[in-house]
Amino acid sequence: MNAMTLLLRNLIRGPSTVPFPFGPAWTPARMRGRIEFDLAACTGCRACEQVCAPGAIRFDKTPEGLRFMMWHNSCVFCGMCNFYCPTDAIHQSNDWHMAHAVGDKFDMAIREVIPYTACTGCGNKALASAPNPVGVVPPFTPEEIEQQRHLCPACRKKALAERGAQP
Amino acid sequence: MLASNTPLAVLLFPGGLFALGLGLMLKGLDRRVAARLQGRVGPPLAQPFYDLVKLGRKRTMVPDIAAQPVFLGAPLIGAVTMLLAAALVPIPGVYAPNPMLGDLLVLLYLLAVPAVVLMIGGSASGSPFGAIGFSREMALMIAYEGPLVLVVAAVALRTGSFSLNDIVAYQKAHGSFLFDPVMWPALLAFLAFYPANLGIVPFDIPEAETEVLEGPLLEYSGPALGLFKVMSALKAVVVLGLGVALFFPLAPDGVAGLIVHAVKLVVMMLIGVTFLRVSMGRMRIDQAFSFFLKWPLALSIASLAIVALA
Amino acid sequence: MTLLQTLTEKARQLAVRSPWIYRINAGSCNGCDVECATTALIPRYDVERLGCQYCGSPRHADIVLITGPLTTRVKEDVLRVFAEVPDPKVTVAVGVCPISGGIFRESYAVHAPVDQYLPVDINVPGCPPRPQAIIEGVAQAIALWRERI
Repeated sequence: MNAMTLLLRNLIRGPSTVPFPFGPAWTPARMRGRIEFDLAACTGCRACEQVCAPGAIRFDKTPEGLRFMMWHNSCVFCGMCNFYCPTDAIHQSNDWHMAHAVGDKFDMAIREVIPYTACTGCGNKALASAPNPVGVVPPFTPEEIEQQRHLCPACRKKALAERGAQP
Repeated sequence: MLASNTPLAVLLFPGGLFALGLGLMLKGLDRRVAARLQGRVGPPLAQPFYDLVKLGRKRTMVPDIAAQPVFLGAPLIGAVTMLLAAALVPIPGVYAPNPMLGDLLVLLYLLAVPAVVLMIGGSASGSPFGAIGFSREMALMIAYEGPLVLVVAAVALRTGSFSLNDIVAYQKAHGSFLFDPVMWPALLAFLAFYPANLGIVPFDIPEAETEVLEGPLLEYSGPALGLFKVMSALKAVVVLGLGVALFFPLAPDGVAGLIVHAVKLVVMMLIGVTFLRVSMGRMRIDQAFSFFLKWPLALSIASLAIVALA
Repeated sequence: MTLLQTLTEKARQLAVRSPWIYRINAGSCNGCDVECATTALIPRYDVERLGCQYCGSPRHADIVLITGPLTTRVKEDVLRVFAEVPDPKVTVAVGVCPISGGIFRESYAVHAPVDQYLPVDINVPGCPPRPQAIIEGVAQAIALWRERI
């Protein structure tokens, strides 16, 4: 009897099939999908490289700067990089439309370079990465972030000490 | 009434293209309705037709260890036999088969051929799954052929003839057997028989995908597999048409009779095939075998006894 | 066009609507296999609308779904079963394991990427990919299949 009521209910209510691919598909807002990388917010701490489970993230030191590379075909979309990134420079969107032809395999990658710059304090070569905000009280303002970006690590420490915040 | 001009009857109407079209439409309707009953959308109605065309465009790969003539000949024999059988089934009000072609007994023999051909093709392919399918199909055939023969004997005894035309004429004169309580055990036994003959869940253990990797059909591909699909579509038309002719053949003449026949086939299929397919699980071969040796066999023996006494 | 050409073209257009799917598990953890099963079996993501049908034999297949990094244990069998799929066929690598090895990339028993042994056509990254993502990959495979049949 249970089967009969179930079949009748299916007939009356109609199919419960989602319309995709002939219509839009609902995506939850917190779905762990494609990785997005915000170059300006990256501190170059390489925590994401450390915690990446399949090793999809790689940092290389090149003459131009610190190169960030991640490959979506190695990523397992676990969200660890997002969790450990201090500035959320690397984070996941909820985009899951990543099916591609095999010829585009190596295009499913993010390649960005944090450039070297000359330190405004002492003139040495410095990496133009965002400052690490962990433990900084009160938090950096956007102008301070921009200022610290163009300082070498020694000058950054000096600026922090002058500011009176915990390093 | 259209008398049968034999080659045309076999190739065009009611055998051949007409039966193939009707059979494919029945299968498409079955898939669509089964999907709706399960809460899905389901394939378009012409899907079996697309499947057949696609199979025709691929190539048949023959295994190295297969007995090639038997492997390739088996589906051909099955499809041709079902073409002939479709010309033997009367469409009441429209088509009466030529008595020279054959009667009910010939039809019974022809109906046994698809199962045999499936078995032989499966074992000729040389694969162990084919061998398993062979033995299971044989066991199931033994189980369901018994009730079929007894039901046919009961109907023939009641009407006094083995000719399908005479059976249809008798029911025109005395009322169809659907409303005759004496024939109800036979009707029930036939209702139990035809899902097994058509290879429908719960009786499709010989060619189950999840059990024996499709059994005898495992090694077939391309046009040979297409011929098996043709055979199965034609068999559906033949078996359901036989059921209609045996139990409720009353229909008006002409095109209306054709439409009524199609509607009857659809109703029989929806009850015995689609509804059963979506609501039951598959029986094991020993369960299916013992099922047939219990109620359907008892019902068919009882129907024969009742008809003999009445 | 001659009559034969017209008929062949018409037959091709009809044949395109019935791609049959076969799934090969090349040492997968079964996550992607479960997602593949959900695209076929449950009413919510019905793949039969597209004319697809999961078949039980490689000889009936048109679209081959491969899951799993190619482990050493099944490598020979996978290659043998793949050779039984008749042409024309389209191969879809489901999940990141067949594309790069995924999380098992540095294992000694894994022979990813699969496309150094088999001709793969479509990649569907994800671990596992969403059923909708697999359907999207299958839809792209059907588009490729239309050109090959």
